[in-house]
Amino acid sequence: MKAESETRENPSMDFEWTEDQQAFREAVRGFIERNVPPDWEEVAAHGPGNEELTRQSRLFCAALAEQDLLFPHWPVELGGQGADPWHQQILAEEMWSAGEPRGAQYMNVNWIGPTLVRYGSEEQKERYLPPIVNGDAIWCQGFSEPGAGSDLASLRTSAVLEGDSYRINGQKIWTSYARLADTCFLLARTGPDRKSGISIFLLPMDTPGITVREIPSIIGEGDIHEVFFDDVLVPAGARLGEEGQAWEIIDYSLRNERLGIPRYHLARKALDRAVATLEAHGDFADGAVRIEAARAASLCEASRAAIYAIVSQRAHGEAVGPEAATARFATVMAERAVAEFIVEHLPGALGTGDPFLKMHHQRGIVAGIASGAAEIQLNLVATSVLNLPREPR
Amino acid sequence: MDFALTPDHVTLLDALEGLVKPFTTAPIGEVPFALGNDELEAALVEGGFLEIAREPEFGLVGAMLVVERAARLPFAVEAANSAFIGPLLGDEVQRPVCVAEHDRLWQPVRYLADGATLLVLGENDTVSTLTPSPGSVLADPDSLFAYPMGFLARDEAALAAAATDLDGRQVRMRANLALASEATGLLRAALASTIEHLSERKQFGRPLATFQALRHRLAEIHVRTDSLYWMTLRAAGLGDPGEAALAALHAQESARIAVYDFHQMMGAMGMTLEHPLHFWSYRLKALIGENGGRGRQARKAAQLLWQK
Repeated sequence: MKAESETRENPSMDFEWTEDQQAFREAVRGFIERNVPPDWEEVAAHGPGNEELTRQSRLFCAALAEQDLLFPHWPVELGGQGADPWHQQILAEEMWSAGEPRGAQYMNVNWIGPTLVRYGSEEQKERYLPPIVNGDAIWCQGFSEPGAGSDLASLRTSAVLEGDSYRINGQKIWTSYARLADTCFLLARTGPDRKSGISIFLLPMDTPGITVREIPSIIGEGDIHEVFFDDVLVPAGARLGEEGQAWEIIDYSLRNERLGIPRYHLARKALDRAVATLEAHGDFADGAVRIEAARAASLCEASRAAIYAIVSQRAHGEAVGPEAATARFATVMAERAVAEFIVEHLPGALGTGDPFLKMHHQRGIVAGIASGAAEIQLNLVATSVLNLPREPR
Repeated sequence: MDFALTPDHVTLLDALEGLVKPFTTAPIGEVPFALGNDELEAALVEGGFLEIAREPEFGLVGAMLVVERAARLPFAVEAANSAFIGPLLGDEVQRPVCVAEHDRLWQPVRYLADGATLLVLGENDTVSTLTPSPGSVLADPDSLFAYPMGFLARDEAALAAAATDLDGRQVRMRANLALASEATGLLRAALASTIEHLSERKQFGRPLATFQALRHRLAEIHVRTDSLYWMTLRAAGLGDPGEAALAALHAQESARIAVYDFHQMMGAMGMTLEHPLHFWSYRLKALIGENGGRGRQARKAAQLLWQK
């Protein structure tokens, strides 16, 4: 076997972080430590969209923007630094495992901003981009409806053109951050066709006719809402892209979101913390406890490896294919195993015992539900990765 | 951080693919459960594939790729321990290389036969070798496991093994990488074979693979198998005992879950010897008990992770 290492042009296969990547991670960690308040864990444990967290997120994101850490992965022409996908992943890992001090604004930098740049009118870009890049915009995502969850294309909220305005009627549900949001990225039906009858509207949340009702949830305050639209009039200029273009735009928007939140990173951090607590109390000697802890760790690292394999593809300029669904499901398995370990062996953490572990547990509940149900991920794997014959419709 | 294979690794896989091509079809019918193939074994040895980890540009990742590919074949060949642990044993390695826990020596050991190298993993990371006296290894021709299994007579197993100065952590790490790599190949082959059958066999007027009750289970096994591949590759690349233990644990957990499902979904076809499923599934079953078994593996992983 002749070695070709000397002649290869593109370095590959390195399972260690580069010095640059390590330095970036340290910089992000250091920034978080300096910029979250001392009672941050307590604040974060009250829910990802709670009022205090949202208030602090505006200060935090503005400071991030000043340090060029709000959207380093955006292309240079959009004001970013064109950082590679590994930097984006490192940033996401550190933010999420710190309780996501960006609050709702992680959506802005991940997909709302880039989508506005690509599909927005000049007027829309002028209006909405400055607050996003300054770290001071709260958006909510008006997608799910009582009758349209996994089957998003069955949504019924309607937008009817009347002169130069649309009249919007309908209801959204499970909408995160809705009560404190400035703007809604709303999907509404402008035609009868399942997918090509859907359009996107950028809707200021103070428009008359919008009612937001918070739904109490285990996740904490400010996370889940119902939003009602009663004869809401919005100028035609609030439509993003063409009528019926929503499906194409969302496909673009969520392309970078397909790996989902790096939950494996927080899950592993929570597991390490739970083990340290058990150890400190002399409760980690039992073989049965150790077996379950290691099992949870193995699922965290399995998920991390599957995700990193895809980030690696992206770093080589390859498109993310349906394998992202495989990695997403691996993450759900990891999140679940860690949560179950803590429920069984450190139940006090879910009360006043440890706000950080409580926060992990609360946010982990939705791992297999939010941003595409786990079963939908399995459907994608079955159809597009394993190429199984399709189910009858 | 970069998970892409090097050009060397790609070349290795291409060469390997050519080598295994004549051995990809499973013989069916009246063949032994523990189906070996001397020709395949000789080709792997002569091609230097079991020595690949000795070459710095291929390393343990090279061994992982070789073992994983070979494990997808229907034939059982002792490649894993030779490829991973062989380089620690000097220039002349007496194959097959077998590994057993000190307190499970009386259990059947994969590939154990007269003349084999048997490494005994002791407590406190010690490694000893045991050279069975001629004729003292009993083969188990009735074993359901689809590997050649041998075991020592009880009085032989009680003999003191010769101490070595091998680093027990290194041997155990490599044994875990060997296990995880082999399990990855077995899971892949069994899954592919199950998918093929369920995509063809029709019941209620449509292929079985169109039923969601089966689709989701196949997809879940794929999630386990795919993530196992990447975590084993990473553990091999890092050469980290903790990561290797986690990979082996994930392999054993996944084997336990998947093997039952393979046979359940395949129905009677997976039980009859007309179908090759048992070659892969019963090898996976043997691996569940390897390196101390799933539970002990997990306890050792916990020790490596949290009590350094």
